[in-house]
Amino acid sequence: MAGKIRIGFYALTSCYGCQLQFAMMDEIIQLLNKANIECWFMIDRDSDEDRDVDIAFIEGSVSTEEEVELVKKVREKAKIVIAVGSCAVHGGVQSWANDKKLEELWKTVYGDAKVKFQPKMAEPVEKYIKVDYKIYGCPPEKKDFLYALGTFLVGSWPEDIDYPVCLECRLKGNPCILIEKGEPCLGPVTVAGCDARCPSYGIACIGCRGAISYDVAWFDSLAMTFKEKGLTKEEILERMKIFNAHNPKLEEMVNKIFEEGE
Amino acid sequence: MYIPITVDHIARVEGKGGIEIVMGDEGVTEVKLNIIEGPRFFEAITIGKKLEEALAVYPRICSFCSAAHKLTALEAAEKAVGFTPREEIQALREVLYIGDMIESHALHLYLLVLPDYLGYSNPLSMIDEYKKEIEIALKLKNLGSWMMDVLGSRAIHQENAILGGFGKLPDKTTLEEMKEKLKEALPLAEYTFELFAKMKQYKEVEGPIIHMAVKPRGDVYGIYGDYIKVSDGFKFPVEEYKKHIVERVVEHSFANHSFYNGERPFMVSAISRIANNAELLYGRAKELYSQYRDLLQPTNPFTNNLAQALELVYFIERAIDLIDETLAKWPIRPKDEVGIRDGRGVSFTEAPRGLLVYTLEIKDGRVAYADIITPTAMNLAMMEHHVRMMAEKHSNDEPEQLKLLAEMVVRAYDPCISCSVHVARL
Repeated sequence: MAGKIRIGFYALTSCYGCQLQFAMMDEIIQLLNKANIECWFMIDRDSDEDRDVDIAFIEGSVSTEEEVELVKKVREKAKIVIAVGSCAVHGGVQSWANDKKLEELWKTVYGDAKVKFQPKMAEPVEKYIKVDYKIYGCPPEKKDFLYALGTFLVGSWPEDIDYPVCLECRLKGNPCILIEKGEPCLGPVTVAGCDARCPSYGIACIGCRGAISYDVAWFDSLAMTFKEKGLTKEEILERMKIFNAHNPKLEEMVNKIFEEGE
Repeated sequence: MYIPITVDHIARVEGKGGIEIVMGDEGVTEVKLNIIEGPRFFEAITIGKKLEEALAVYPRICSFCSAAHKLTALEAAEKAVGFTPREEIQALREVLYIGDMIESHALHLYLLVLPDYLGYSNPLSMIDEYKKEIEIALKLKNLGSWMMDVLGSRAIHQENAILGGFGKLPDKTTLEEMKEKLKEALPLAEYTFELFAKMKQYKEVEGPIIHMAVKPRGDVYGIYGDYIKVSDGFKFPVEEYKKHIVERVVEHSFANHSFYNGERPFMVSAISRIANNAELLYGRAKELYSQYRDLLQPTNPFTNNLAQALELVYFIERAIDLIDETLAKWPIRPKDEVGIRDGRGVSFTEAPRGLLVYTLEIKDGRVAYADIITPTAMNLAMMEHHVRMMAEKHSNDEPEQLKLLAEMVVRAYDPCISCSVHVARL
């Protein structure tokens, strides 16, 4: 791209961790020499959502009617839209509750009180606008940002990751938490790129990078293994839904395992 | 006719919030902090979920203080099931917590606050003119992040702190390396303190403030405690907080407001810790406090910036001591087995921006009840009060100037808006 690239970072409902990770890379200083920040409220007072940008990074899940309008506006103003992190890509942990009704959640937290904004159940950005590229993770790794931004800056297009954390974990030679310790590790279905961060600390993967697209994410085979380890269908669904609540195939594939066994 | 002064989206704070100031013939009639970050229902979504999974989700309330959320939730859970971690595990958890403190304070002071004082809209554009400051900011920030990487598995949303201890501990060499890095950072923290000692504290917002902070365990200035101290001399055990901190829903915000004894706004923050516990400081921070105590008056929210800088000095020395204590017991086991039984636990800790409370009730290994009140939610009523004071004294200023001053008041509190909107059960 000729001249300075115009970037915008837009926040929906989130913990701001993706932006924090992005802002806190030492490398960002060099990269931003090649960029103009048009909108990035977390670090720039001179931000404006109405300006045109080349690359729009969107963090967070769509959780209010106002955010629906915002993502539509960003889509109109941006050449490339990147959904960043688990909330934007998969709806985030706030979607873990999508088996409950909004009214029920609202009552638990706010009682009968009303506020003047319009809340809604958390949803991924893609539900409302076309997303050109996704950066996975809760939060994403620094190298995810560097790879995507670096690739766009040289005028190319970054590749998507289509293999699981499990592969990275095997390459590191870690003992298998699922098979050897019997813990419900989601490494086999989760998008790689974290270098098996949690399993390397002896902690079972909770799937924060989301499931690989469903034609390669074998929820059913993993569910079968979990079932053999003694987990109930509800336990399996709960765990798989922490970061995958909106996955269209999950429930069907897990159900299959339990129907076959009965 | 008056046009309200509004900041739709306050920049350089964590999360999405706005300020609305309405003027009438008699001056300022209304001041509102509009918290527009969407609601996230953390308490509601984790009810009925497995304890371990809920503990992985709570830190996601906020990235700026995810370690604070993780460690407070963990302590509440461990209290609920009747487990007390070994001393060396507690020490290492505190080092992890201090990593968060260092990162968060450095980030707030240099990247979010300093641009206002130097006349910039963002920290990145300061690089040519203020290279040294940006370098110090990154060095301190990187130190805090690295401490969280080593002990928590990563700088944001740590998974390595678990019930009973840690998944895996660093080796001895890494802890020794951490000590060396902390020693190297001490002069940078002192430089930060000297820098912020020169910054203006706006007298417009001066007045009495009720401060709350924990009464630290072991009578050493720190993060964990079993009692809450109020600056009016009152003290209460953490389990009784519902009697003294009352939350109310307000129409203009997805975040509740908190009041002391039902009606009075109060403040929690680094300056609140200094106000209530300065006598427990030691080392270089104690010397700096004696030398600069006139600038650390707890009657002005702007002193919170300098208090954070003082804490950078303090917590670096504190982490060195905690690492020494741990190394003296080396090698140590990373964790103990925790039997999960039914119960209820309350944990209050000092997050970078003030008191954070978790109450967790566990039944059959699942979360049966959760109540979380974050520092920003506790501060909102006080913050509105101070924005109003500033607006009243500057009601004739140009709107742009008034907006900046109002934002600066809010930024002095270091609000964490994402934190505030998970919002508590009534």
